[in-house]
Amino acid sequence: MERLDKIRNFCIIAHIDHGKSTLADRLIEKTGTLEKRDMQSQLLDSMELEREKGITIKLTPTRMLYDFDGERYTLNLIDTPGHVDFTYEVSRSLAACEGAILIVDATQGVEAQTLANAYLAIDNNLEILPVINKIDLPSARVEEVKQEIEDVVGIPAMHAPCISAKEGTNIDDVLKMIIKEFPPPKGDKNGKLKCLIFDSYYDNFKGAICLIRVFDGSVKVGDKIQMMHSGKVYEVTEVGIFVPFIKSCDKLQAGDVGYIAASIKNISDIAVGDTITSSQNPTEKPLAGYKKVKPVVFCGIFPVDGAKYNELKEALEKLKLNDASLEFQPEVSGALGFGFRCGFLGLLHLEIITERIEREFNLDIITTAPSVFYHVHKTNGEVLELSNPSALPPQVEIDYIEEPFVKASIFLPPEYVGAIMELCQDKRGEYKDMVYLDKGRVKLVYLLPLGEIIYDFFDSLKSRSRGYASFDYEMGDFVRSDLVRVDILLNGEKCDALSLIVHKDKAYQRGKALVEKLKKIIPRQLFEVPIQAAIGGKIIARETVSAMRKDVLAKCYGGDITRKRKLLEKQKEGKKRMRKIGSVEIPSSAFMSILKLDDDGK
Amino acid sequence: MLGIYVHIPFCEKKCNYCNFASFVENNDFIKRYVQAVCKEIENSDYRGEEVDSIYIGGGTPSLIDAKHIDEILRCIYKNFRVDDDAEVSIECNPNSLTYEKLLIYRQANINRISLGAQSLDEEELKFLGRIHTPLQVFEAIANIKKAGFENFSVDFILGCHSASFKKFKRWLGQMIDLDVKHISVYMLQVEEGTALDRLYQKDPSVVLDDKKTVAIYQKISKFLKKNRFIHYEISNFAVDGFKSRHNMKYWSGESYLGFGLSAHSYSGRERWANANNFQDYFAGQLAFKEVLSNRELIEEHIMLGLRCEQGVKIDYLKTLGLDIAKDENYQKLLKKRILFQINDRFFLNEKYIPLCNRIILELL
Repeated sequence: MERLDKIRNFCIIAHIDHGKSTLADRLIEKTGTLEKRDMQSQLLDSMELEREKGITIKLTPTRMLYDFDGERYTLNLIDTPGHVDFTYEVSRSLAACEGAILIVDATQGVEAQTLANAYLAIDNNLEILPVINKIDLPSARVEEVKQEIEDVVGIPAMHAPCISAKEGTNIDDVLKMIIKEFPPPKGDKNGKLKCLIFDSYYDNFKGAICLIRVFDGSVKVGDKIQMMHSGKVYEVTEVGIFVPFIKSCDKLQAGDVGYIAASIKNISDIAVGDTITSSQNPTEKPLAGYKKVKPVVFCGIFPVDGAKYNELKEALEKLKLNDASLEFQPEVSGALGFGFRCGFLGLLHLEIITERIEREFNLDIITTAPSVFYHVHKTNGEVLELSNPSALPPQVEIDYIEEPFVKASIFLPPEYVGAIMELCQDKRGEYKDMVYLDKGRVKLVYLLPLGEIIYDFFDSLKSRSRGYASFDYEMGDFVRSDLVRVDILLNGEKCDALSLIVHKDKAYQRGKALVEKLKKIIPRQLFEVPIQAAIGGKIIARETVSAMRKDVLAKCYGGDITRKRKLLEKQKEGKKRMRKIGSVEIPSSAFMSILKLDDDGK
Repeated sequence: MLGIYVHIPFCEKKCNYCNFASFVENNDFIKRYVQAVCKEIENSDYRGEEVDSIYIGGGTPSLIDAKHIDEILRCIYKNFRVDDDAEVSIECNPNSLTYEKLLIYRQANINRISLGAQSLDEEELKFLGRIHTPLQVFEAIANIKKAGFENFSVDFILGCHSASFKKFKRWLGQMIDLDVKHISVYMLQVEEGTALDRLYQKDPSVVLDDKKTVAIYQKISKFLKKNRFIHYEISNFAVDGFKSRHNMKYWSGESYLGFGLSAHSYSGRERWANANNFQDYFAGQLAFKEVLSNRELIEEHIMLGLRCEQGVKIDYLKTLGLDIAKDENYQKLLKKRILFQINDRFFLNEKYIPLCNRIILELL
């Protein structure tokens, strides 16, 4: 048998919580790649945070060996991040494979990400193997779900393996099907080198590492390689595979999945989706599908303690070592001092990065409300691209503003269609399509402004559908919108970090909600504090925090003095965490409050 | 000169708002405790020093056998040089204070009584967890006078939900008629872990809201001042010549020694406290001992000075390394008339007493 015939490169795709990581663990266990005792549950989710959130962000490929019909097969599993923020990374991982296992939860059926990921796999010409998971649950409805896959996804599913990844039932079926159903990789090991970079990470000793799939040719230590899009040339210092920990080997050749280290200093020199070739004998055409990933969600990050600006900078730099999609540049805010404007692939990405800064670098930070990227067309013909509301030029200089829209697909039971359509309309959505997939499931398609989605769309979607609606989106075009900036004034002074850009029709409602929320958050001060929302010079909403009445210690005798002094010291610390806008002290948490305006209304 | 504080941590029943070290114990235990206190006094490093105030507080000192009080005072007189005109005070509860006890107190050199009335309204007393009646307060005052005490103080608490200035005006008027020379009015504080706290968590309206409390407090202050009382500390009012010398020591940074469970002492830059459980106390252990830094001394001086009519001494702060005149916040507070400065001292504008903590925070 040919060498290539005994390789299978595949990935697992699924809607969140349908059991992707659990199945990956079982496959690794079943093939004896790792001893059971070495297995940490859900091994592939390598970051602590990922395990905690139950989601996979960072891809870790694994090579497994499996004997079937007297032959030893090499199975390369490339895990994919199952979240809409990372759609491009998913697509590159898929491009490195020939086959995809599509896991569907036997109790939940097809969900938004099931379909989005399946379509991505189909777009990449992958063979898809449906697998029905969680058959151990009493509410499993195996036959119905199979039918649903056929009807909704449009792929044959009657012979899909039915498994319980949790209990390890029928895992062998999956392994056999991988070998039987997925085509072996094609490629010419003697051809000109062509590797797809599907991921990268940073190693303190080896520098930035490329995770690659070799399509043609071979690569070994000492080879001169070139990144086709950046044009940069490097000398290979190490090649190897993942078992699932890295293990160096002599060479990688057509069909293989592995890594290349080449003393690459920065992770930003490696572009996921780029093609690596030989610099001496380059291939003519790079692999298709390369795209530069751009952040779509932005926010300001500031240290609570202004003196820790440099520490924050170092933290961001370190995180960027492993995450090329994170962008940041210095920002100065009148209210928050020195910090950074940061760009993310989506809200989850934002959340992960901010949590890692706090957790891994032990820094207290203030994040401002997320915003999107706007195209501001000025009357003088100039076009500004900005994400920071306070950078918006005065109204008179603006001709018009464009904002990004997304195409959103929402899967939900029919009884919630009315409520969700209302939500989409409320979020300025443009109805596109509605398809009854089967009697229990409807797909709604809307064009929605991204700015509304990052506001509180997801929470509202879940609450209005009692958690039954699932949702996925792809980036669309920039669309001209009637947008204005709402400013917040505290005791008459503008607080730049609380400004937001909203649609004109919603400015009043949003301004009112924000001042009401701030009234609850801002503690009473020695004097009365008016909180106002304004557009330009016009006040559109006002609330007042009444002055504090009483803060006094009635008894202060011998034993009370030390206690009181310590209490004062603690209060003093708490005060340091407050930000001063003019003479008004506001807690750091206020700056994120813009996001959660609806909480208290319900 | 030194002040001496003796803590008697025993009560018939703990009041609902109280988070002080106080316990319900039997007579044998109390006897043992008094012996331990006397031993502590005899072993004091400060023996032989001059003392001009003694304060026996609690708990409820009037609860225990008066001969124990006599025993403790004898011990102090034996081991310290107590001035002839020293102020010697004892805290008493209306229900446990008898005429007989008062006579023993007099013979033991006690010359000042501090009576915890707290309220003269039956319902309020019940709510506070007090076990006396309004009538007992008047009986106690009659006995105090009959026993020959001229210098006595009555404590009140402001903060029961049914409080009103009308009521306070009546009560305080009665006290003035009875020739009370010193009155304390404490704004009720809900302390964590107390019975009151549990009530409050369930229904915050069991206590008077801040706005009303402050309004009544301001009126009380005005009323007492009209009646020749000096408002000399946040919660304390006295007729000229009757300020509590002992308590003034706490607020002006003078030295004092504390004997008994969880009692605090302060001398030089050192502050220490006895253990707050009997086992450790009997073993002679301290809860803590600290040496105050300049920064801490400054903080305390500001914190305590602003509570009192005598204010904060600017020169003293300077000797500790703080030139407050250069402080931006200080100047701002002066400009807003929250503070005012006369010669070498600055004071808190009376209007801002209810916000005292907040103002202190601005200066630290």
